[in-house]
Amino acid sequence: MYKLTLILKYLRKRRIAWVSLLAVILCTAMVLVVISVMGGWLRMFKEGFHGATGDIVIARPGSLSGFPYYQEMIERIEQLPEVNGAAPMLRSGGLMKIGGYRDVVQVVGLVPEKMGRVNGFTQSLFRQTQNADTATNQPSFKLPLPADEYRAYADRAVTDPADWPGAIVGTYVIARKNEKGELERPAAAYRLPMTITVLGIDEESSSVDINNKVQRPYWVVDDSRTKIWQIDDKTIYVPFELLQKDLRMEAFGDAPARTNEVAIGLKPGTNLEAARAKIRDIVIDIAKARNLPMEEIDGVVALGAPVKVMLWQEVNAKFIGAVEREKVLVTMLFGIISIVAVFLIFCIFFMIVVEKTRDIGIIKSVGATSAGVAQVFLGYGLAIGLTGAVLGTLAGYLIVKNINWLHEMMGTLMGVKIWDAETYAFDTIPNTLNPNEMIVIFCVAVIASVIGALVPAIRAARLNPVEALRWE
Amino acid sequence: MPTTAPQASTATILRAAGVRKSFVMGDTRIEVLKGCDLTIRPGEFIAIEGRSGSGKSTLLHIMGALDEADDGTIEYAGRDLARESSSARAGVRNCEFGFVFQFYHLLPELSVLENTMLAAMIENSWFSFRSRRAELRDAASAILKSLGLEHRLKHRPAQLSGGERQRVAIARALMNKPKVLFADEPTGNLDADTGRQIMAVLEKLHRDAGQTIIMVTHDRALARTADRVLVLKDGILKNADRTPSTTG
Ligand SMILES: Nc1ncnc2c1ncn2[C@@H]1O[C@H](COP(=O)(O)OP(=O)(O)O)[C@@H](O)[C@H]1O
Ligand SMILES: [Mg+2]
Repeated sequence: MYKLTLILKYLRKRRIAWVSLLAVILCTAMVLVVISVMGGWLRMFKEGFHGATGDIVIARPGSLSGFPYYQEMIERIEQLPEVNGAAPMLRSGGLMKIGGYRDVVQVVGLVPEKMGRVNGFTQSLFRQTQNADTATNQPSFKLPLPADEYRAYADRAVTDPADWPGAIVGTYVIARKNEKGELERPAAAYRLPMTITVLGIDEESSSVDINNKVQRPYWVVDDSRTKIWQIDDKTIYVPFELLQKDLRMEAFGDAPARTNEVAIGLKPGTNLEAARAKIRDIVIDIAKARNLPMEEIDGVVALGAPVKVMLWQEVNAKFIGAVEREKVLVTMLFGIISIVAVFLIFCIFFMIVVEKTRDIGIIKSVGATSAGVAQVFLGYGLAIGLTGAVLGTLAGYLIVKNINWLHEMMGTLMGVKIWDAETYAFDTIPNTLNPNEMIVIFCVAVIASVIGALVPAIRAARLNPVEALRWE
Repeated sequence: MPTTAPQASTATILRAAGVRKSFVMGDTRIEVLKGCDLTIRPGEFIAIEGRSGSGKSTLLHIMGALDEADDGTIEYAGRDLARESSSARAGVRNCEFGFVFQFYHLLPELSVLENTMLAAMIENSWFSFRSRRAELRDAASAILKSLGLEHRLKHRPAQLSGGERQRVAIARALMNKPKVLFADEPTGNLDADTGRQIMAVLEKLHRDAGQTIIMVTHDRALARTADRVLVLKDGILKNADRTPSTTG
């Protein structure tokens, strides 16, 4: 009984106990915030890449000229029951000129009607899906305005502006964030003419041919926000056939048409690896028949730049791996800081035991056992740990939930901007918590506090009552 | 185990035999107790007199199961306390013995009432304390009232005078109705008047309630209040009560 009484009295009356309590609160909140933000970031990163990539990708990394016979592959792959859809995609570097602004961009050629069954591209479109007025499930590159309007906006053009194709741009190509963090698109966002220049690729040497420069005017018809900054900042999506032509990858004489990638979307709940195996079988089959270099056929590894069937995680392994390692690193760093907190509790408890030496002698003289005395201090540690963990978890929860608001406040009040979209790929800080992580952090905080109190408690228990009473 | 004559143990509540204790300080070894024998009968008020540093407190601590002797036996109710486990000795301190110290030794965070109830709090688990709380609270209040502290229950030790603190300490020692009350210079920190009041309290306990008291003091005049006075000098108790049965 005395244990509880003493614990409560000491908790209330000892100022120094508040310091250890504060340490527990801060460390718990800090670790929770870091793990939640980093974990949320990692998850958003993965979701973003998954959405932008599709589930499985056939590609030929290291080759500019891509691979042929993709139509055959798509046809057979789409017959697999677990496959939702498959679509060819082209990727190329290019030069963009929009207004007076020029930049190097990634030009992606895609078949818009097919993308809905392959990946999250459709959902990323602002005008055609997210803007309720024009919502559609069939995104396209069609020009949304009457022909005359385009003619009026590009009156000095050589070709008829109403015949120019449409292009979809990454959101940040045309939009900017204002101080409040909201996206602002220019008023004439979807009447913007732009020119894309790409270089044709020589099939033989798979090198870029400077004489094959193709310049083509486009109208911006929509913007895509995958929420991955690196993608949304500098990507232009154009019709697949046009880019294929400009890159000299279309069928020509005997040469078959080529693509850089085939993106495949699976039905929900499909086992990725099993589906990959089936798709590989199809690709190997075609590769054998057509004499394509495949990453491995009958145990023979192809040299050069073979065709590979990759999971979405493998396609983005470099990015995801980096973020994963960063999460582990930061969590470890803050874990080490938390060890400092355990040490702080240890020191404070040791101080309390030294300061309370005479009290320990007193309660022993009145009949408290050594175990009882140890329990007082362990219970004290437990009480501080529990209180600190509860308050720390609560504080961490509130911080994470309001992290974007807090970040903005910091920005406006102190001019500090920690979260930068360019560095972190996302324009908002992740604000979700994982209940399992919360429980683990809570328990670790409590256990750490008890561990911090352990040595002082043992010392207190071992005190000789007579010496403790003589203590000045 | 030395065999003890049955009639002697009925007449004896606490017996120290051949108690030795030395302390090592640096290179020197100080022999404080060099074989002390003492037999206390129930209801006796004994004073141990001696100069400061003569080892009175040490002897009292050993007899009160607070400290361990290097050699010798402490026999209480047929048990040799020196051979008991430390938790058994803690139990004896809790339920059988009561201590009053020169410097009061109250817990500063607890109120007068809580300080008084400390022994009961230690004795009882949380549940049994809850169920007996009213009863224990009444008992503690009654003891405090008998010591003239009924208006001080909620105060903290720091708010009390020295004499009041020592009375709270006596109340705490009496809480679990101890068989033996140990008092180590109970007036040593008080002025003469207050000291006399405290002595009056002890005398009254002894006279009215038949409380067995062992008091230690360096003050010869105070010592004379007791039934029997022993002198601790050069590590030996003189005028010690040596009943025939203790020799052996
Ligand atoms: N823990 C200890 N370590 C060393 N010496 C001690 C210790 N406790 C007591 N002493 C010494 O033992 C002697 C007797 O002490 P004590 O019993 O307190 O005397 P008294 O109560 O008669 O004044 C003193 O000289 C004291 O310094
Ligand atoms: Mg003394």
